[in-house]
Amino acid sequence: MKDLSIDFCGIKFINPFMLSSSPVSNCAEMIARAFDAGWGGVAYKTLGTQVEKIIHPSPRLNKYNNQACRMVGLQNVEQISDRPLEHNLKDISWLKKHYPKHRVVASIMGFSNKEWEILAKSAEDAGADMLELNFSCPHMAIEGSGSKVGQAFDLVEMFTETVKKVTTIPVMAKMTPNITDMNEPAMYAKKGGADAISAINTLAAVTEIGLDDLVPKPNVFGKGAISGYSGPCVKPIALRFMAEMAMNPDLGLPISGIGGIETWIDALEFLLLGASTIQVTTGIIHYGYRIVEDMIEGLSDYMEEKGFNSVSDIVGKALPNVHHTDEFDLMRQGVVEYDLDRCIGCGQCYIICQDGGGQALSWDAENRRPVMDEDRCLSCIACSFICPVEDMIHYKEMPKGWVRHDPEPMED
Amino acid sequence: MKQSAERAPLFTDEMEEGFTLTLATEEAARCLLCFDAPCSQACPAGTDPGSFIRKLRFRNVTGAIRTIKENNPFGWTCGTVCPTAKLCELACSRTAIDRPIQIGKLQRFLVEHGWTMGFSPIKNQQGTRGKVAVIGSGPAGLSCARQLAINGYQVTVFEKREQPGGNLRYGIPPFRLSEKGIRREIDEIISLGVTLKTQTPIEGMGGLDRLQEEGFQAIFLSPGLWNPIRLGIEGSELEGVMSATEFLGGLRGDQVSQIEGMVKGRIVAVIGGGSVAMDAAQWAKKIGARDVYILYRRSYKEMPAEEKEKVQALNDGIHFLILTQPVKYTGKVALEGVVCRRTRLGTPDASSRRRPEEIPGSDFEMPVDIAIEALATRPDPTLKEIASVTWENNLISASEETRQTSIPWIYAGGDIIRGPALVVEAVADGKKAAQAIMEHLEGKGE
Repeated sequence: MKDLSIDFCGIKFINPFMLSSSPVSNCAEMIARAFDAGWGGVAYKTLGTQVEKIIHPSPRLNKYNNQACRMVGLQNVEQISDRPLEHNLKDISWLKKHYPKHRVVASIMGFSNKEWEILAKSAEDAGADMLELNFSCPHMAIEGSGSKVGQAFDLVEMFTETVKKVTTIPVMAKMTPNITDMNEPAMYAKKGGADAISAINTLAAVTEIGLDDLVPKPNVFGKGAISGYSGPCVKPIALRFMAEMAMNPDLGLPISGIGGIETWIDALEFLLLGASTIQVTTGIIHYGYRIVEDMIEGLSDYMEEKGFNSVSDIVGKALPNVHHTDEFDLMRQGVVEYDLDRCIGCGQCYIICQDGGGQALSWDAENRRPVMDEDRCLSCIACSFICPVEDMIHYKEMPKGWVRHDPEPMED
Repeated sequence: MKQSAERAPLFTDEMEEGFTLTLATEEAARCLLCFDAPCSQACPAGTDPGSFIRKLRFRNVTGAIRTIKENNPFGWTCGTVCPTAKLCELACSRTAIDRPIQIGKLQRFLVEHGWTMGFSPIKNQQGTRGKVAVIGSGPAGLSCARQLAINGYQVTVFEKREQPGGNLRYGIPPFRLSEKGIRREIDEIISLGVTLKTQTPIEGMGGLDRLQEEGFQAIFLSPGLWNPIRLGIEGSELEGVMSATEFLGGLRGDQVSQIEGMVKGRIVAVIGGGSVAMDAAQWAKKIGARDVYILYRRSYKEMPAEEKEKVQALNDGIHFLILTQPVKYTGKVALEGVVCRRTRLGTPDASSRRRPEEIPGSDFEMPVDIAIEALATRPDPTLKEIASVTWENNLISASEETRQTSIPWIYAGGDIIRGPALVVEAVADGKKAAQAIMEHLEGKGE
């Protein structure tokens, strides 16, 4: 097994896999089991002062299924920790005592400068290795908190500064994706003194509406809400934010990547686009802590195969290949080719080429096979995505000078 | 209709459990959504699995149910007992990847789901057009009746027995096709304004002419085949020797306790290798027979029953004695044993299955208390009296296109024109004849 340890803000993590601040990191008993399963660190469920008593809505979650595929997304209306602050602090101390090699990042959320100060100091005193400032929960039931702060960039700077003044441990600011350009608030956090950025928190969303009662879900006694959405469906969006921040030369802060990670490949993609730790919640709500075992083994085997000696060697490795679309070489073109000996004759390629492609396929009804007119192929390669026979359809580059035939205009 | 209900209340008694909505959705997700779907082309009744599976896949559950029911009044029955492995599922493209979509099971689920949801897409029409009589309330007769009723015809179905359903009820055991399901499916047809007259046989010379005199303008004949072919070997008169028609029909009818009393704790031999033989053997086992044997003169592969029926029977502990030809029943008053002769397979016969040849000197006798002969069935001989339609090879001749007989106002379908056939083929006949009857009556009116 490879050494998966990585330095993050000057702190050594035994591996880059963390629980994110959420129901999966609610108390020491849970986190201890997660550490035992292999997780290297935790962003502990967001602490509040409990000046305003936190009560979670019931029910808290709803699923987003796509056909038979369950929970490709998850919506929640969960609030920050509803446990007494002293219980959470006690749990953090207990974890630091019993798991000295594991990293405990205390997530905190205040509603005033004073509260941010109190929370930051008490978390540090309890032994937290780092702080994560929750500027990003999209559904806090208390005004002036969560992503409201994350969208008011001056508040991001101010509260970060407040925290930095009273603490010595590294501070990470957690970003909301419910904005246009994440580099803006990230830069404000940097100005306030943040040592790292974590992203993304959940996307504001509606997953499902009850068709009998017309109430969006989760249905909290007749009321639904636009609230935080997470899971595999948000991963591509999270990766976009990763790349944009990692490629911003002015930012230059380490990033903890979050958003729909379930497998080592998901985690690796975040690392390749510049994250140096990754955080998971929805994957755990779906499958449990055990998934980290496959992340560790998968990443280790990948590093072995590709000759990477440390995780930090992977970080940002794909960034040089991320370009603007106007940099593409449009003179090089191609088509798809079919290995028809393996075709089973379902004809899905024909349907989608007709209705969503270039009408390059016609249908040989007698033999139930597609017939290709290469000159009409758009090389959208959508047919290869739906073909049930693995690797039956391949991309092929055409010689220079080859010209695709456009559809002729209709004539009477 | 409630969109959210998940599990159907059971219409299925002791039948194998069907899909839930979640499981059906998962199965539908395996479908390749073929162009010009081969499964749809493979259904004798023109049911369109390619469409109803796509509809289920795109959460158009009501549309999926409508597709089935508009096409097939016996969607539930066909989804349950159709030999899908030889029809739609044989054609399924997915087979080339791993295994076919469970089309029959999906169809059965969708119909059950419609019942649970209270969704009935087929609406009642006031019957004001022509008057049509249907003889026999099996799948052919009732399919014809429904098709006519929903087009505004006044249909009366004459049924000889106490209950409607024909072979569905009196020929298939309830663990394969439940009483509740049959009742539900038939009630839906009757509720469209079909008049059902049970215990009303049409008999005697010119029986159909009399119906015509009563004002019925067309008649659909679907009486089925209820005259079992018997082995006719020595000892056939002994107590305990019976046909599968008597055995299955008795258990669905009024002789349940009598037959159960005969079978319980006894040794039963079922003669034959078709679906009916498997049904009779399994039912005998279920009602307490000590040992049940299947005696079949060819080998396992030639048995016409479906693969899954054969495997089920084997797993139920039925003993298969293949290459075995019964030659004599023994006993004084009641059956005590069967003398059998071993056979071997020779050259293929007309059915292209290898012909069994008896091996001289191989006779052996086995103790048997009940022998059930599950051979083919023939038409009731009295049928020939009720109308002078043309017969051929002991079956009524009917046009391939219209199911019209040699008498223009008499149509026929189901087993009586085909010999023992599938439910789905009977449904196809009923629909085809209904269409032709409507055209016939409309043409007359003009």
